[in-house]
Amino acid sequence: MGTKGLVFNVQGYSVHDGPGIRTIVFLKGCPLGCQWCSNPESQNPNEEVGFNPARCLGLAKCQMCLKGCPYGAIVADDKGADYPTIKRSLCQKCPDYACRKACPAGALVVYGDFLEPLEVIKRVEKDEVFFQRGGGGLTVSGGEPLNQPDFLLDLLSLAHKRRLKTALETSGFGSYEVLKAAARVVENILYDVKVISRAKHLAGTGQDNELILDNLKRLTADFPKLSILVRTPVVPGFNDTSKDAQELGQFLRALPNVTFEALPYHRFGEGKYGFLGRTYPLAGLTLDPKALEDFNRLTLAARNL
Amino acid sequence: MISPVLSPQEIRLAELAAGRPDPILTRHERANRLVSRIKGAKPVIDVERALYFTQSMEKTVGQPLVLRWAKALYHVAANITVYVTEDQLLLGRVGQPGRHGILYPELDGDFLDLAVASLPGRSGSPADISPKDASLVLEKISPFWKGKTYHEALSQSLPEEVFNLTYADPAGLNSRFIVNETSSFRSSIQWVHDYEKVLKRGFKGVAEEAKERLNDLDPYDPRDQAEKKPFYDAVLIVIEAISLWARRNADLAEEKAQKESNPQRRSELLTMAAIARRVPYEPARTFREAIQAQWFTQLFSRLEQKTGTIVSNGRMDQYLYPFYAADLAQGLIDEEGALELLECLWVGLAEFADLYISPAGGAFNEGYAHWEAVTIGGQTPTGEDATNDLTHLFLRSKREFPLHYPDLAARIHSRSPQSFLWDVAETIKDGSGFPKLINDEEVVPLYVKKGATFAEALDYAVSGCAEARMPNRDTYTSGGAYVNFAAALEMTLRNGRLTKYPNVQLGPLTGDPRSFASFNELYEAYLTQHRNLLRAAFIQQWHVNKLRATRFAQPMGSALNDLCLKSGVDLHQELVPEGINLGYVEFIGYGTVVDSLAALKKVVYEDGRLTMDEVLLALEKNFVGYEAIQALLKAAPTYGNNDPYADLIAKDLDRVSVEFCQKYSKSLGIHNDIRYVPFTSHVPFGRVVAATPNGRVAWFPLSDGSSPSQGADREGPAAILLSNFHSKNQDLSARAARLLNIKFTPKCLEGDAGTQKLVEFIRAFGDLKLWHVQFNVINQDTLIKAQNEPEKYQNLIVRIAGYSAYFTDLSRDLQNDLIARSAHESF
Repeated sequence: MGTKGLVFNVQGYSVHDGPGIRTIVFLKGCPLGCQWCSNPESQNPNEEVGFNPARCLGLAKCQMCLKGCPYGAIVADDKGADYPTIKRSLCQKCPDYACRKACPAGALVVYGDFLEPLEVIKRVEKDEVFFQRGGGGLTVSGGEPLNQPDFLLDLLSLAHKRRLKTALETSGFGSYEVLKAAARVVENILYDVKVISRAKHLAGTGQDNELILDNLKRLTADFPKLSILVRTPVVPGFNDTSKDAQELGQFLRALPNVTFEALPYHRFGEGKYGFLGRTYPLAGLTLDPKALEDFNRLTLAARNL
Repeated sequence: MISPVLSPQEIRLAELAAGRPDPILTRHERANRLVSRIKGAKPVIDVERALYFTQSMEKTVGQPLVLRWAKALYHVAANITVYVTEDQLLLGRVGQPGRHGILYPELDGDFLDLAVASLPGRSGSPADISPKDASLVLEKISPFWKGKTYHEALSQSLPEEVFNLTYADPAGLNSRFIVNETSSFRSSIQWVHDYEKVLKRGFKGVAEEAKERLNDLDPYDPRDQAEKKPFYDAVLIVIEAISLWARRNADLAEEKAQKESNPQRRSELLTMAAIARRVPYEPARTFREAIQAQWFTQLFSRLEQKTGTIVSNGRMDQYLYPFYAADLAQGLIDEEGALELLECLWVGLAEFADLYISPAGGAFNEGYAHWEAVTIGGQTPTGEDATNDLTHLFLRSKREFPLHYPDLAARIHSRSPQSFLWDVAETIKDGSGFPKLINDEEVVPLYVKKGATFAEALDYAVSGCAEARMPNRDTYTSGGAYVNFAAALEMTLRNGRLTKYPNVQLGPLTGDPRSFASFNELYEAYLTQHRNLLRAAFIQQWHVNKLRATRFAQPMGSALNDLCLKSGVDLHQELVPEGINLGYVEFIGYGTVVDSLAALKKVVYEDGRLTMDEVLLALEKNFVGYEAIQALLKAAPTYGNNDPYADLIAKDLDRVSVEFCQKYSKSLGIHNDIRYVPFTSHVPFGRVVAATPNGRVAWFPLSDGSSPSQGADREGPAAILLSNFHSKNQDLSARAARLLNIKFTPKCLEGDAGTQKLVEFIRAFGDLKLWHVQFNVINQDTLIKAQNEPEKYQNLIVRIAGYSAYFTDLSRDLQNDLIARSAHESF
């Protein structure tokens, strides 16, 4: 039946991640730790409990979660707030996540479900009528999809066999062999390049970028006809200097077959950090729309194809 | 924070709010001047039509009704004040300058006294009346109609149990909002005339045919002489009437021209006069004559009767195109000139306020709503794509004309050209939601199944809100029942009673819900309540069909219908030979009922997390203190997410309803098919339904059309379309329009890529063979701002239930309803 994969979301009607109207399957787990990550729930490679206090009815009105957790990991807030506290260390990750079922308001959620490739494909194919007229299809995203290699390849092969159009959205941080195998069965690759400077990359993502840049070069060499879109999130204070743009442009100059798009930094993911009991590293940061335009212009100028 | 992407409409509003000139209006000076005189004005009630109509009807008591009607229209045409409006290029209006509405005492005149007193102060859609006109109404108009109106006759004819579901008081003045009759709001449901006939043959050609048929009558045949002869006589009188009225307009324009000092305006006036001397009696020769002929015809139709939503404009890009193309070729007109004439027509539409004088009628049609649908695109009668240059001109006009007229409807089909859909998508993105889309792939086969030829079905025109008409084959003309199925649900839980009316046993005794051992038992009880409301709707319809033939006639509308003219039968007669009667019964509260049943099935009967007792208590307390129960119920599967759990319940409810219609329409002799088009009735209907098991609080609006419940769609717009598809019974035919609203924020549709994805979305809609969809492209923030600062957002156009209205014209209830609907953010 194929390897099960850990999927944290399947999102229909997605219009910014590949050609046409697409359904995105988000795989959980990422080896990078980008500070600006807008999907913090995608990073941890295991299931995770999240809590959204805005949806919580408050303990005065509802205490179903306190009764719901068999391990006492959910308790009344000791500082007197009207909503519960999750003692994450006590969570035993019980098979059906009693807390998720207990909460009536959708305030307690569990990110991540183990699904078989066929289950995922069946879900994606429900949206098929929206793919037909514009070359849309399945986009596998993450997290980092290369991080679940067996599931990723099973999923993409099955999709290919059923003639679904597929795209892969990746940071490129993973085994080249997996990337290469995936590239054989996808129509589009959306490839994130955060920054060329190794020091900056390490500081912003916690990892070196040598593998990423190397994989991209090998990929374009091995698949000269594959549609590859390089995307760079422009993050203020991280990679938005003219030097960053020029270095990126120069790097892309050697890869004439790829297309390029600068993406604006946004903070729509900020709330989710709180749900996971984490603090958003970039609180208060905003991007001037003009900075995005400048970055795009400078990159393309330096690329000078 | 990145700056939000604003739609062109929002950019325009921001410019205006900042005190800068309107970027679009400056390009259209004449329209600018015309619009500035009516914008934001409260409509005035003009009583002349009612006065002259009544004067004539008083004198003709006892004569055949169709003849009386024609004589009354002649009397109106001869006496009603004619006007020449400053800057207008078209002649003809049915009321005083500015925004105005007119009265139809034959329909609902028993409300007149009440209306004269209450309309100026009504919160929903107020209208002013001068003291002099108010006393004319009270002394000269309403006394004659006391005891003679259609509304009174209908309320007297209904059996008690049907009456109780229809009206809330013994006099039948207030609606119960359960099985709501709408045939007394308008003497005809939405309708569209065969304007092409007027343009090509002129009323002269119709008169010639009527004379021939009159001559062909058998002089010894009593039916020919007693029924058909008065009909043809009436047709000839009404043609005289409209021609006289056009000439009176021409006379006045000439008179004004003599006094006009500006040479350009003098020349305009003389041209207008010359055209009005010719059309609509003679055939039109030019684009300008064609527009004037069409405008006179639709205006006279307003004088003839109150057509629901106001009579529609038909396939304008088809019947005007030959005139446009010929004029272009001869250099008589250019694109800008044609656009200016269309704008003059749109101003005429915008100036008219569709007054619903009964309280229930007003609640159904907030915001002076009327939608004289202009149909563009689609296919020709032989099945070719029908788009042409004029199609694109209508779309351009929609983007550039500042008011929410016309109500533009684009027909799409499986081969709609990319150039058309791209232009449609760009126009939708403009922010006002137009055009609405109607799908040939659903309408054409259904109409063929119901008895039309392919040529007729392929040539349908959008009519009113979401409906389609074949002007020479359709013959049905009454408003049907609007049925509050959320009330049926509450009655299931309260053994046939509603919280709102605790002392009346409105539905059958279906038992204490706590005694139901399974979901099936509950569902069967619900279906008993459901069928009881359908039963009342059909009995009501039976009386409507009998009565309207004795109360209404429409000689001009009938003259333009091939079948009526051929058979000598007025359109208001119960059956017209060879006609197809497409009538409807309205399913209101679809999402509310489906979600409530799904929640009970899941939470009470499957998961056992709540007992029925707990649910009933929480409902009784309107969830106050029972928020956890409300949340649990809301978390159950809902319609609109492509989730079979809810969608299969939706499909079965549709099936039960459609099968009922299929079976009992035969007794009525018409198609009385299930439709999901609420106008704004889901708001007043919600006001009689207490809290429901989908977590909806008491008196909140019901779900709208075939759209999901407010906020219940969690999976995005593709899932909404798929649920709509999967809840429809493709194997049955007693179904009609399904109205579907989709709201997009501009970010989803940004740039050319966004336009392309909207085109793909529209094509998927076409492939799914859904009847109707319309879009609302707006930021939620904009709506909230508009609610808080209405003076700054007078122009804000939004889509509600099949038509557009100014956001600030709507009641706070309806504004909140719009804000509550999920916006589909896509990042």
